[in-house]
Amino acid sequence: MFDLFHNLGLGFGVVFQISWWSPWWLYGLSLPISINILMCLIGALVGTLVGVLPGIGTVATVAMLLPITFGLPPVGALIMLAGIYYGAQYGGSTTSILVNIPGEATSVVTAIDGHQMAKQGRAGPALAIAAIGSFFAGCVATVLIAVLGAPLTKLALAFGPAEYFSLMVLGLIFAVVLAKGSVLKAIAMIVFGLLLSMVGSDIETGASRMAFNIPELADGLGFATVAMGVFGFAEIIRNLDAGAEMNRDLVQQKITGLMPTKKDMIDSTPAILRGTVLGSILGILPGGGAVIASFASYTLEKKIAKNPSRFGRGAIEGVAAPESANNAAAQTSFIPLLTLGIPPNAVMALMVGAMTIHGIVPGPQVMQKQPDLVWGMIASMWIGNLMLIIINLPLVGIWVRLLRVPYRLMFPSIVIFCAIGIYSVNNAPVDVILAGVFGLVGYWLIKHDFEPAPLLLGMVLGPLMEENLRRALLISRGDWSVFLTRPLSAVLLAIAAFLLVLTVLPTLRAKRDEVFTESEN
Amino acid sequence: MADTMGHSATATRNTRLVVGFCLLAIAPQIFELIWSIGTILGWGAGRGPGTVVTSHLTALLAGAPSAIFGSFGGGTQKMSSEVLLALIYSYPLFVVAILTIFMTIRSAQDYVGGIVLMALALFALWAGSDLQGMRGFSFGAGTAPRMFGGLLVALGAGIALTGLLTEGPGMAHYAWRGPLFVMVSIVFFALAIRPLGVVVTAFASFMIAAMGTHETRWVEAMIVGACLTLGCALLFPYVLGLPMPMFPRFLVQ
Repeated sequence: MFDLFHNLGLGFGVVFQISWWSPWWLYGLSLPISINILMCLIGALVGTLVGVLPGIGTVATVAMLLPITFGLPPVGALIMLAGIYYGAQYGGSTTSILVNIPGEATSVVTAIDGHQMAKQGRAGPALAIAAIGSFFAGCVATVLIAVLGAPLTKLALAFGPAEYFSLMVLGLIFAVVLAKGSVLKAIAMIVFGLLLSMVGSDIETGASRMAFNIPELADGLGFATVAMGVFGFAEIIRNLDAGAEMNRDLVQQKITGLMPTKKDMIDSTPAILRGTVLGSILGILPGGGAVIASFASYTLEKKIAKNPSRFGRGAIEGVAAPESANNAAAQTSFIPLLTLGIPPNAVMALMVGAMTIHGIVPGPQVMQKQPDLVWGMIASMWIGNLMLIIINLPLVGIWVRLLRVPYRLMFPSIVIFCAIGIYSVNNAPVDVILAGVFGLVGYWLIKHDFEPAPLLLGMVLGPLMEENLRRALLISRGDWSVFLTRPLSAVLLAIAAFLLVLTVLPTLRAKRDEVFTESEN
Repeated sequence: MADTMGHSATATRNTRLVVGFCLLAIAPQIFELIWSIGTILGWGAGRGPGTVVTSHLTALLAGAPSAIFGSFGGGTQKMSSEVLLALIYSYPLFVVAILTIFMTIRSAQDYVGGIVLMALALFALWAGSDLQGMRGFSFGAGTAPRMFGGLLVALGAGIALTGLLTEGPGMAHYAWRGPLFVMVSIVFFALAIRPLGVVVTAFASFMIAAMGTHETRWVEAMIVGACLTLGCALLFPYVLGLPMPMFPRFLVQ
């Protein structure tokens, strides 16, 4: 317990660290600023912006800003990127409620009841409950990360290569089970990602693999490059299909009375609690993260409600639960990344990319060798949540006005911004073209109903998996049974096999699809 | 009547798919040919288009069959990369294309998706064919790529099979305007950033990308493009400290 406070104290110390900033244009004058607070604020602002604007996803934004973090100190960079992720969960609810356009996949279900509330003139309470729920969930999740962090790291340090490999297999299977759509396609995407990760030099022998003597490929496909292509460019191209002009009927009336009534509070408190618990659990599990958390908690609320017919007509629980759940999940998904070094979803995969850019190898050793980084990030999440509630509630009008920016101006800007960003990572024009090619690949994948997120996960885990597989087999002298004879590894693999069998069973598939059906209504 | 019409419709669809798969089967060869045209103009140092055509044609027509029959005779001479490409990549896809003629495709989306993934995996298998495999009980450089490549071939076949067995959506509609202009803009950016610098390149790429939709209003786009260019020109080199050329090289010198 004492450790926990000590660690959190360290974290807050890192966040509030004051440094003296003396830009050249002040001619020697220095200003005291806290870089990490500033980064947290920028992250929260950008996240809200992304959440509000439909057509740019969180993954694409984090990918876009990845190159920018190159020049920042690692702690600040990670704090900013984390802020974008949970900030987007706040911002997404705003447009869902006011405009019925979910800015983010995670707030699709919020739109169902939230927009109905807005139509009934109760937009204020809906926004307030969404923000309060998110804030509460964010606080709980922050504490959860702090509590679970140290013990999980200890566990991870006991892992050998065989256990690590099995754990990654389990993680990937979870990603398949919790993903939307066909299981077979999701597995294929993971394997495709694994295959892409093999391009470049072999870690052990140094042999150049599948690089076709192209010098830019000798180092492997850049992670940011692929992510930007598959998520950034592909999303833009796909959005252009539908025509640049999106239907944006704003709720024009003024938002009056932000404060929810006493009845609203009583109704939504249990929903917030349930959403937080469900979201926290689903966030830790690899795979779905925030998206599935919001869908699942909405379904749960509907199931246990005394009068389910209220849902879809402005039930406040339908706003409170998913909004708490997505925020909780967004934050707890940092737990496997920080403790085990295994990213549970696409955004976390990008965080791995950000860490590697700064020369940090994610894994249990990070928490021991660079405690300031980990605890600084955890502490910043709480501060970020506090900032977000201020950014979102009183300033809601500004964000809604941003929706009037037409897509025809937005998309070329994103293209150029992405292009400069990728170019700046290595100063390599080839990277820009590669990202464009992966944009087309991503567009093709969308057209054939393949989910790109597992691909990214496979690509990040590929080198780690290969390394551990090779090491495990080397230690066991080529004996494959090592994965089954070591107890921990056997348990992990058994869970993975069990999960895979479950998803193939028809009854469970129906359940799984049911969770996602809300999005189609 | 309706039945025959439906039948002829799927027949034409299938022939289009077959032609598509055949093209896919020789896509790497075609790509190398296009690439080699550049050598005429003096770019790069690859083989000329003449050598590329003859070597691939002999590999496809004569080399690969003789390699197959030769292997029965016990000959283990090293095969050239063209022959390997034909053996590992092109022939299986030709077989798939021929099989496609006889199939009733229930979901073109899944079927085509699975086949193309299979093609990618076969291509990866070929690209990794020069790598060393298992050495005793330790992995060589090529073991893992081959493992995952083989797995992806199987998964692609599985997806294609679901496209044959279960009803599903057909091929989606592809727009050309958005992808084309966005890609042209990206390629232009990549080619122009070194010689022309951020200011010119970013603005020009912005205008090219803006052509991706017919709704663009030019005056508005130019104003936003200019603002964005200015913003990026300040943000990247000065605020973030990432060095990049600002103005065209010939103006600076």
